[in-house]
Amino acid sequence: MISSINPAMKAVTIMVPGLLLSFTFDVFTPLVYFIFILIITFTLADIRPMTWLKIFSPFVLVALTSAWMATLYANQTFSYGNVLFTIWGVDITEGSLMTGISLGLRSLCFVALSLLFALTTDSTKFMLSLMQQFKLPPKITFGILAGYRFLPVFRSEYQILKQAHRIRGADREPGIKGRIKQFRRYAIPLLANGLRKSERVAIAMESKGFTGDKERTHYHQMSIQTKDWLFFILFAGMLAITIAVSYSLGYLNIFGRQF
Amino acid sequence: MTNQWKLKEIVLMAVLGVVFGIIYLGFFLIGQGFRNVLAPFGLGQFGYEIIFGIWFIVSIIAAYIIRKPGVAFTSELIAGVVQVLLGTTAGPQLILSAAIQGAGAELAFALTRWKDYRLRILVFAGMGAAIFSFVWNLYSAGNIALAPWLLTSMLVVRLISGALLAGVLGKWMSDQLAKTGVLRGYALGKERRKQREKGAI
Repeated sequence: MISSINPAMKAVTIMVPGLLLSFTFDVFTPLVYFIFILIITFTLADIRPMTWLKIFSPFVLVALTSAWMATLYANQTFSYGNVLFTIWGVDITEGSLMTGISLGLRSLCFVALSLLFALTTDSTKFMLSLMQQFKLPPKITFGILAGYRFLPVFRSEYQILKQAHRIRGADREPGIKGRIKQFRRYAIPLLANGLRKSERVAIAMESKGFTGDKERTHYHQMSIQTKDWLFFILFAGMLAITIAVSYSLGYLNIFGRQF
Repeated sequence: MTNQWKLKEIVLMAVLGVVFGIIYLGFFLIGQGFRNVLAPFGLGQFGYEIIFGIWFIVSIIAAYIIRKPGVAFTSELIAGVVQVLLGTTAGPQLILSAAIQGAGAELAFALTRWKDYRLRILVFAGMGAAIFSFVWNLYSAGNIALAPWLLTSMLVVRLISGALLAGVLGKWMSDQLAKTGVLRGYALGKERRKQREKGAI
């Protein structure tokens, strides 16, 4: 279902709450929106719950650390309310705890939104719709697609390089020094090969008639339809509703100011 | 802007974007590791700051090699798009963050009217990207809620990281690449050849 939404439109839709949630510093707003994203993920998108959980679960720990950090080091504007407890000589107030939890929940929202995008979007289609809907120049679009296709080649070249070094007895040395040495040994040859190929690909594209002209026809026609707009309205509308409810219940907090 | 660039320069930026897109994703994990090590000491924020400069390196390398207006900005933007294609968990917003970092690096080159590519300008470009990204993170990561002393020290660490990991390391890698001869068709390679010819006379 969600995999059939126009990818460029999907990216914009995901970006709206991704940007606007950063205004809020209360617990209620990101929590409700997070639940909304979860419902969408497991009803409208064909994402396998196990796959999703595997990628998502480490970020719970990440969210916990960032929540803890913000709680410890919240500044005056954000550490309103009574002191709850003291740790390492730092007073933890209601406000700083709220700010911490809010930041943690917010980052979980961002990860869930990103997964909703990443797990339902085809990379080639995303580039094509960026070109056709958002007027990204064809030179850049096809340049990126050509470069992106090198990915498997890089992987196999890295393997060859590794084997070539091992067969000559230049194995990895232990410790940080060895790591830096290894980085030098791999990074430059890999990049040099990549750049050589990029020059060749560019020449091949031009010799086959690619001019980068913006007035061109497309084999894969991408379009924005009603359902794409509905998808956008669903996410933007739910954000507006969440903020409105949070405001009417008196929870809404924007940059440390209670509304 | 794109009309001034040759296709091979754009594909070069794209390939750099792919290579560093992967490296960036790798460094995301390294940053996470640093963060988890430092968190018990109450210094978790610095986990990323130490290595933040690496995220600006593609701007410096591309601008130093191609030497045209807009390259620092666009190459970082492309690296951002590539990371989204690779399926980053930072989501499509990453393209915006990348654009802001790229704009910071571009500013340093713009101030020299895209003529000066000495080490000090590359270092400035790395620091420019650091400042831009720092201001952006105040909002996007909610850093604005943090205590002023912590923010100041984070900014200092990020500036140093930007100067070293983006500016100095970026120049070093580009020079190493130029030595292999693959950059003969680009501004950096051409400049090297001129220098060699001068030396020969």
